[in-house]
Amino acid sequence: MAAFADFWATYSTLVYSVGIHALLALSLWLTLSCGLLSLANAAFMGIGAYTAALLTLQLHWPFPAALLGGAVVPAVVALIIGAPTLRLSGVYLAMATLAFGEVTRILILNLQITGGPEGLNGIPLLTTGWHIVIILAVAGYGLARIRRSRLGRAFEAIREDEVAARLMGIDIEGHKLAAFTLGAVLAGVAGALNAHFTFFISPREYGFENAVDILTMTILGGTTSLIGPVLGASILTLLPELLRFLHAYRLAVNGLILVVVVLFLPTGLWDARRFRQLLKNRRARKGGQP
Amino acid sequence: MLEQQLINALTLGSVYALFALGFTLVFGVLEVINLSHGAVFMVGAYAAMTAVTRFHAPLGVGILAALLVSGLLGLTIDALILRRLRARKAPHLIPMIATLGVTTMVTSAAQGLFGVEVQRFPEAMLPTGEFVFGEVHLRTLELGIVAVAFLLMALLFGVMRYTRQGRALRAIAESPKAAALLGINVEGLFMLTSFSAAALGGVAGVLIGLDFNAVTPMMGAPILHKGIAVVILGGMGDIRGALFGGLFLGFAEVLSKAYLSSQMGDAVAFGLLFLILLVRPVGLFGRVLERKA
Amino acid sequence: MNRVSKHFSLALAGLLAVTAVAGDLKIGVAEALTGGAAQYGVPIRNGFQLAADEINAKGGVNGNKLVLVIEDEQGKKEEAINVFKKLIFQDKVLMIFGPTLSNSMFAAGPVANAAKVVAFGTSNTANGITEVGPYVFRNSVMESDVLPVTVSTAVKHYKIKKVAVIYGNDDAFTKSGYDVFKKVLEDQKIPVTTTETYVKGDVDFKAQLTKIKASNPDAIICSGLAEEAANIIVQARGLGLKVPFIGGNGFNSPKMFEVSKTAGEGTFVGSPWANTNPNAANQHFVAAYKAKYSTEPNQFAAQAYDAMTIAAAALKTVKITGNLPADRQAIQEALPKVSITGATGPFKFRQAAPKDGKPSGYDADQKPFIYVIRDGKFVLFTGK
Repeated sequence: MAAFADFWATYSTLVYSVGIHALLALSLWLTLSCGLLSLANAAFMGIGAYTAALLTLQLHWPFPAALLGGAVVPAVVALIIGAPTLRLSGVYLAMATLAFGEVTRILILNLQITGGPEGLNGIPLLTTGWHIVIILAVAGYGLARIRRSRLGRAFEAIREDEVAARLMGIDIEGHKLAAFTLGAVLAGVAGALNAHFTFFISPREYGFENAVDILTMTILGGTTSLIGPVLGASILTLLPELLRFLHAYRLAVNGLILVVVVLFLPTGLWDARRFRQLLKNRRARKGGQP
Repeated sequence: MLEQQLINALTLGSVYALFALGFTLVFGVLEVINLSHGAVFMVGAYAAMTAVTRFHAPLGVGILAALLVSGLLGLTIDALILRRLRARKAPHLIPMIATLGVTTMVTSAAQGLFGVEVQRFPEAMLPTGEFVFGEVHLRTLELGIVAVAFLLMALLFGVMRYTRQGRALRAIAESPKAAALLGINVEGLFMLTSFSAAALGGVAGVLIGLDFNAVTPMMGAPILHKGIAVVILGGMGDIRGALFGGLFLGFAEVLSKAYLSSQMGDAVAFGLLFLILLVRPVGLFGRVLERKA
Repeated sequence: MNRVSKHFSLALAGLLAVTAVAGDLKIGVAEALTGGAAQYGVPIRNGFQLAADEINAKGGVNGNKLVLVIEDEQGKKEEAINVFKKLIFQDKVLMIFGPTLSNSMFAAGPVANAAKVVAFGTSNTANGITEVGPYVFRNSVMESDVLPVTVSTAVKHYKIKKVAVIYGNDDAFTKSGYDVFKKVLEDQKIPVTTTETYVKGDVDFKAQLTKIKASNPDAIICSGLAEEAANIIVQARGLGLKVPFIGGNGFNSPKMFEVSKTAGEGTFVGSPWANTNPNAANQHFVAAYKAKYSTEPNQFAAQAYDAMTIAAAALKTVKITGNLPADRQAIQEALPKVSITGATGPFKFRQAAPKDGKPSGYDADQKPFIYVIRDGKFVLFTGK
């Protein structure tokens, strides 16, 4: 039992991080499922984190209320900038969201209320494992339901062929905005949770590199199912810990993984269709033996 | 003060333009957003640094080394990765993500090989001398960069418009299938483009490394961000766009630092980028990204 | 030290941590060995290693060897927390040195404090670090002790009437430095002609410097790190701006001269350390560091070296019983009493003022030296 207590004391932060990253990867998955490559989720995470932290630090709101704030404010921002931005597509959308992310980061850096470069310090430790597990479960369940619903199928239609979808009468702009905003909510909540187990947040954690990290996790895991992003998040959070002995080169491994996956496993690690195909091939081969 | 600030803007803008030239070339011909351009830029600077400090070569050789080493790196990336993705007709975002991975690997390797401390060219190597016009000061090196940026742009533009290879490249940019049917060696030209663009990036790395006299494994990242802004502002894939986008960004940054507040420089740059994307996504000189065949 | 042997020795250190003998003193070192802060973290690690090796060569502390468990916190606060937890709960070290950045200490310090393990920072200079709790120590002299002296000395020497200020506004260290400078200038009643900012990684400062030149100051105050500072000075000279510079802690590095030997002439810097400080401990340190790492040491290495010396002095007075919580507590009680003369000169601790009625940790109590750059070197300023 003592061994477990020690293990938990050492690695609890890591486990929490896996949960947070899984939530972020899912938020990106949601926008991707509608065909939107948004690099703004790191910025939304930051907005959620700062909102929640300021609510607990300055106004002493209870934790659930602060979490709610961390969900609502990013949603409002997403609605405001979403309408004009989502008219862009593909690469241009990615760049616009990247620019938005940078502007957000610089604003946070320069405002007095957010503490500037010194960030916010002394955030109370309010997140527990249960918060993360429950929110992740709810998010996962919600996304699974959406997938099978009309909303989810509309997203898929938009992703596959926007022109056809419009001809079928689907409200493209409304659906894109919904996916974008919902993604912002998930990212914001992830940020709020994260702020409350790391004591301290600063603008540096919500920039371009972080957006790239989230993207890597989602692509690595695969976007064909919800398991993919969670798997990708787990691997990329835990791998650096396991590879500590590589020192400077362990970041190189992240890059290598990304390249290898893109080249050889374009649908990501977890692709149900590929597994079924493999199983079918194996059975066919076995069946074909005399 | 205004005159000096205008000169400052010109030199800064040329730095950005120089970096963006290679970047936009790859986009224009290969239709790939090559996020490893920052890494080849950094590699070029290190190649020159190594030539100059380890092998005691003169600066000219160092620049040549940068050109070759970066060019080869670009070619390797193309052969190993981009070529396969082309064969697979992967959507645009996929090569972009792959080049991100390459950047991480190369930056990590550089950190492991060269260490993380800022390295500098020996003081004796730096071109000295400056021009003074009244209150305005301009270092020779800065003037050199401005000149090189304009020259290269003119050169590339001329090649694209007036030479056979250039016409072939433009044909490919319009439609690779049609170009292949016309007997153009599409793959060969793609590889040549990758090499040249990376070589340009490497040379930019040396010149900029010299100008600010700071070479670190991380030097590619901030300029890549600015490079993306330049290319979008100026229009992706257009060489004139790289130059004018670079100058535009340089002016926006310097003048907002000068007349608004020094804090606002970056915010203005990215804010402008955001606005331009909303209003005219293709940028100053760009064409809409629609491949016909 | 070439890369292979460095990796080998790191692996060996790791191995040693696992197979340490009972009498060994396990000390955690959490510094940024990769990433953006590695340029500070690596010299810091080197400083620790050098001091520990020297102490062990002389027989260790009370016959026990110092064993360093070195981990890379990458300059990221989540990593700092992870690494601290690993060192405290898994490796079960007696105390921890680090982390490198003030931001990381704000995140990881509370973890050590709650676990009643000493966290000893050598490079954290932001305000409020030691208010985290009584287990947080630092020997990095606060700017608020150094800058008033630097400014008043320079003002007197150059007969300065007004200054311009430029600082890095996205780094806790340079921003704190600016806050201190601002207060000092108000206290000493020196008007500021203009205040400009830049961000870390910027290499082009001509826009800001042109503005400064137009405002006609007698001197320029710069709160920045050496990389940017060196370029700022060179670019200022390139614009025809000839007034002297006054620098904060970040200036104190041989890197100031890599860019130009002459541009920084006449710059005033206050600091706890300079490589030309003639005291015997420092001269020994500089020579030993150069011999072992084939490069000049900087202030970060010097402070790490001294920190290890301080810790060893504390450990000498403590009886290691093998009861980990008791030993860790004993170290926390022994440290404040230590006073040494190290590479940075005479040193002792000073407890910070309590925050909200709770006890605080310990800051450095050291007098700064004022240096002026002459002939491409830092020279102790003696009033001439």
